[in-house]
Amino acid sequence: MKATVDKLIDQMQLLFKDLLARDIMISNVITISSDRTMEQAKELMRLKKISGLPVVDDGKLVGLVSIEDIIKALENREIQQPLEKHMSKRLKVISPDANLPKIFEQFTRHGFGRFPVVDKANNLLGIITKEDILRSILEEFRVLYVRDKRMSDVLDGEALNRSLITGEEINKSGADFVFPIDYTEISLSGIGAARLKDFLLNKKDIPEDIVRKIAIATYEAETNVVIHSGNVGTIYCFVHEDYVRIRIEDHGKGISDVEIAMTEGFSTATDQIREMGFGAGMGLPNIQRYSDKMVIVSEVDKGVVLEMQFYKKNSD
Amino acid sequence: MDLKLGEIADVLEALIVVGEEKKDDLEIERAGAADMMSDVLAFAKPGMLLITGLNTAQVVRTASIVGIGALVIVRKKQIPESTIEAARLFGIPLLHSPLAMYTACGRLYERKMKDIKSL
Repeated sequence: MKATVDKLIDQMQLLFKDLLARDIMISNVITISSDRTMEQAKELMRLKKISGLPVVDDGKLVGLVSIEDIIKALENREIQQPLEKHMSKRLKVISPDANLPKIFEQFTRHGFGRFPVVDKANNLLGIITKEDILRSILEEFRVLYVRDKRMSDVLDGEALNRSLITGEEINKSGADFVFPIDYTEISLSGIGAARLKDFLLNKKDIPEDIVRKIAIATYEAETNVVIHSGNVGTIYCFVHEDYVRIRIEDHGKGISDVEIAMTEGFSTATDQIREMGFGAGMGLPNIQRYSDKMVIVSEVDKGVVLEMQFYKKNSD
Repeated sequence: MDLKLGEIADVLEALIVVGEEKKDDLEIERAGAADMMSDVLAFAKPGMLLITGLNTAQVVRTASIVGIGALVIVRKKQIPESTIEAARLFGIPLLHSPLAMYTACGRLYERKMKDIKSL
């Protein structure tokens, strides 16, 4: 079990290695200057509900006041004294370019609850707590797109048989539902999603509103293949105990900039397609809206692989 | 206010092309109008009435995916047989109204039908 968790963490770190301290940190940090008293620091921490307060003079980080420091000062009846005497001065800091594995290492090694992020001149840029890390990982999970070397690995090699979301092996021949997308006839788009909806409703163990979300996201994805790829595609559905995974692959034109394609309102669709009510530039944003997790990988002229995950229970 | 399918047909001077048998049973609470299918996918509420100017089979398929209660096609002179077929297949009542979309929406609004956002 331990080995599996370690392996998983290793995989995760790899997945998020491009997530840097500057992306994770909170930058509007509440600070105090060193000429204040511990009493004032205590009040500020109480009012702002924070457990650590960076001490900053002229933008430079000079110390940190923690709850522990406050308690000590209270016990020794030194709470009225200038905080300079009581703040922690030997600080462990993180550079804005530190990546996730490095940040994790700091947290594990020192066991602190928060780390200031400073530049080379010791200017305070932000602060990172464990919650900040969790939040950025979750945000990253919502839309993860990979445009580096791993991309061609996914679209060429055996990685095509792995989940983009978890990295685990996917046996496509063992999919619970498979539908080949016919790209030659725009008016046929949506049949795959409709069949999938029926298939999932017949399973009886997935709530109707979840099936609806899956059907909508799949419909958008299927339409994308028909409108944009100019090649054949396939819908795969894997029903797991807690979640449903949908994977839609095509071997068509690909997306040159996923970030722009994710923007609401951006579309490259032709007038003919717009006349049919599509091409509003809502496809990928809608998929994001309805799925719990989504990863899209694409390279020009190699195609698109879209993976979505839906929890069977409602999270909200 | 909830309207019966038959009442909606009267208000919109519409022909019930598919679902005539439900005209006294099916009650609909909300309505919305869109020509962009992605808007429908993004904002539709299950069971609502969808008013649209599109008459392709695609509309019916979209309606089925989001669980539309009934569909009104406005303004178009004709509805293709493939669209009617699809409505039968998916069991979605289909109305054909000669009114312009603006007028159709206005009439339903007058009858105090809710939109997709109101409580």
